[in-house]
Amino acid sequence: MKERPKHITVAFMGNPNCGKTTLFNAYTGANLKVANWPGVTVERKEGYTNYKSTKLTLVDLPGVYSLTSYTIEERVSRKEVLESNVDVIINVVDASSLERNLYLTMQLLELGKPVIVALNMMDIVEERGMEIDLHRLPEVLGDIPVVPVSARKRTGLDVLMHAVVHHYQEVPDEKVVTYSDEIENKIEQLIDRLKKEYGDDHQILRWHAIKLLENDETVVKDHPILIEDIVDRSYENEIINQKYEYIEEVVDECLFNRDEKVAFTERIDKWLTHPFWGLPIFLGIIALVFFFTFTVGDFLKGYFEVCLELFSGTVTSFLEAANVSDWMISLIVDGIIAGVGGILTFLPNIFILFLALALLEDSGYMARVAYVMDGVMGKVGLSGKAFLPMILGFGCTVPAVMATRALEKEADRRRTILLTPFMSCSARLPIYVLFADMFFDSYAMIVSYSLYIIGVVMAILIALIVSKITKARDTGILMIELPEYKTPNPRTIRIYVWEKVKDYLTKAGTIIFLASIVLWFVLNFNGSGMVTDVSESFGAAFGHWMEPILSTAGLGMWQIGLALLCGISAKEVVVSSFSVLFSINNINSTAGMATLSGILGASGFTSLNAYALMIFCLLYTPCIATIATIKRETHSWRWTLGMVIFQLVLAWIMATLVFQIGSLL
Amino acid sequence: MTLHDGKIGNAYQVQSIDIDMSIKRRLEAIGLIEHTKVVILNEKRNGSMIIRVRGTRWAIGRAIAKGITVKEAA
Repeated sequence: MKERPKHITVAFMGNPNCGKTTLFNAYTGANLKVANWPGVTVERKEGYTNYKSTKLTLVDLPGVYSLTSYTIEERVSRKEVLESNVDVIINVVDASSLERNLYLTMQLLELGKPVIVALNMMDIVEERGMEIDLHRLPEVLGDIPVVPVSARKRTGLDVLMHAVVHHYQEVPDEKVVTYSDEIENKIEQLIDRLKKEYGDDHQILRWHAIKLLENDETVVKDHPILIEDIVDRSYENEIINQKYEYIEEVVDECLFNRDEKVAFTERIDKWLTHPFWGLPIFLGIIALVFFFTFTVGDFLKGYFEVCLELFSGTVTSFLEAANVSDWMISLIVDGIIAGVGGILTFLPNIFILFLALALLEDSGYMARVAYVMDGVMGKVGLSGKAFLPMILGFGCTVPAVMATRALEKEADRRRTILLTPFMSCSARLPIYVLFADMFFDSYAMIVSYSLYIIGVVMAILIALIVSKITKARDTGILMIELPEYKTPNPRTIRIYVWEKVKDYLTKAGTIIFLASIVLWFVLNFNGSGMVTDVSESFGAAFGHWMEPILSTAGLGMWQIGLALLCGISAKEVVVSSFSVLFSINNINSTAGMATLSGILGASGFTSLNAYALMIFCLLYTPCIATIATIKRETHSWRWTLGMVIFQLVLAWIMATLVFQIGSLL
Repeated sequence: MTLHDGKIGNAYQVQSIDIDMSIKRRLEAIGLIEHTKVVILNEKRNGSMIIRVRGTRWAIGRAIAKGITVKEAA
């Protein structure tokens, strides 16, 4: 027996949506997001695991179809393998579309690094009645280990790691694909020349020779040697063709009973991607998502409120019994419990929303949305793919902005980033639910719906205007793989929803908690100490300063100005601020709402003002986290600040319009 | 004819691809090259279509469909 190595670094590489992240999660215990559409992973992530006495560093990478250097993901992946200390590549292969997946495998084999194939989705292969010859396959792939696994069912994991630990130094035969005599001849000449220039120990001579023949930009630039006499033109086409010819031979030899049961997916797609019905069906699905979010969420909400009331009451009597000073009780009960607790009662709505989004994403429908929306988005100069980040925006703007990385052109990316904040994120949901319930009774749901729709319409209008100004046109180059439909995986859904719920709870415990405390202080103090009348506090002074600006939109109350300002830390804070501002203990309960609407109503705040407030919250700067993400993704302060100002101005204009026009009616 | 002129449900064989290099390379990466068999599964009015290539389904835009010259597959 060989001695086991102490530490190995493993990189997961494979086509998009082949299950790399699912496998990564299974080994590392990480809860990275997984879903059934190509391009979910946009960042490199590291994790750790042990196999017997060996420590393993695992690197999860975004999926790629090839190892050229034409897209960001491809360059990232290639750099990772060539320049970092990766010992072995686990090439995750979707066995249910072997032919396409093997193309990347062929390229990896030429890299001169140890490669182990993880043949994923074997369960699907079997379900479909296909068979793969597991003895022949490794032979035709240069005798590398091929391990069947199911990342979803977590089978074959130990066998795969066993293979890693035992074969991590075995470089595959780099000549798995033998090209035509003409090309092989040129490869040999190039290898000679590379040797002369860079010495024998230059690692992967054959791969560099092939890349020089393909006229690969990066490799040509890094190896400025004279090769024009050998490479008279790009041989890229022939090289690709011959790789695929070899793959066809492999598939002929190793795969049996192909094309048995793909009919299921195509039968569903007949309707979901129907030229006419596709769009109405999509809109129906989204409407259903929010219907459940409002109704089921509201149904569960009641239980939360009872708990909160009990809790708040218990804490108050406990603190009073313990002779805690009044201001401390006020801080805890009116500040923290009111602010944070009020936000927690919206958890059921948030839970249902993310559950619905998780089901949508894991079923395989997401990629279809890109196709269904391609026509509509084309009218505003974007491809249907730009709509995927926008859907994610219903959940949270931060991952939505990051998901724009999947778009090919930088200009398209920025335009999409501009649109995503207009999709009402889950943090805006509490504002809609609260104010719609308070001021619109039985029309509450329609009012909430209208805000979602206005957000989408605004996004499309802005995209249209921008496309007119920049003369951007949809070039009709949508390209996205449509995965097979799958029954959503319970584990995937659980992780997805739990991560979101955890985020929400964390936010309640950190940002909203802090914001509530800070707000309580600015409301209870001024320059000369603690105040008895809030209207003399710092907070009031600051809020008053904003009154004239916001009064055109019917929001000329200092409390509202202050709540909106606090809302930039996180949108839920708008709601928690109202709780703290008006000392309402359970804002989402019937009694809490009655108190708040009573106070607001007394100063002439009607349903029209409420709607203007909701419009303002829909459109203005989402939150600090979004601003930071936009800066990180665009690398431009100018762009980021421009967007913030644009959103503020737009929110003010639209809220003013709504209020002024509404007042005339 | 180009793929754009094709009919839903029919199979075609790629004869040549005449399109922007960056897109051509992405097509090559998914194995859509000369002689590849392509089946049209669905098409929209704006010209985007769903095709089956090497056992997987792809949604492609109008411009891509127009750039792929095909003939009816035997």
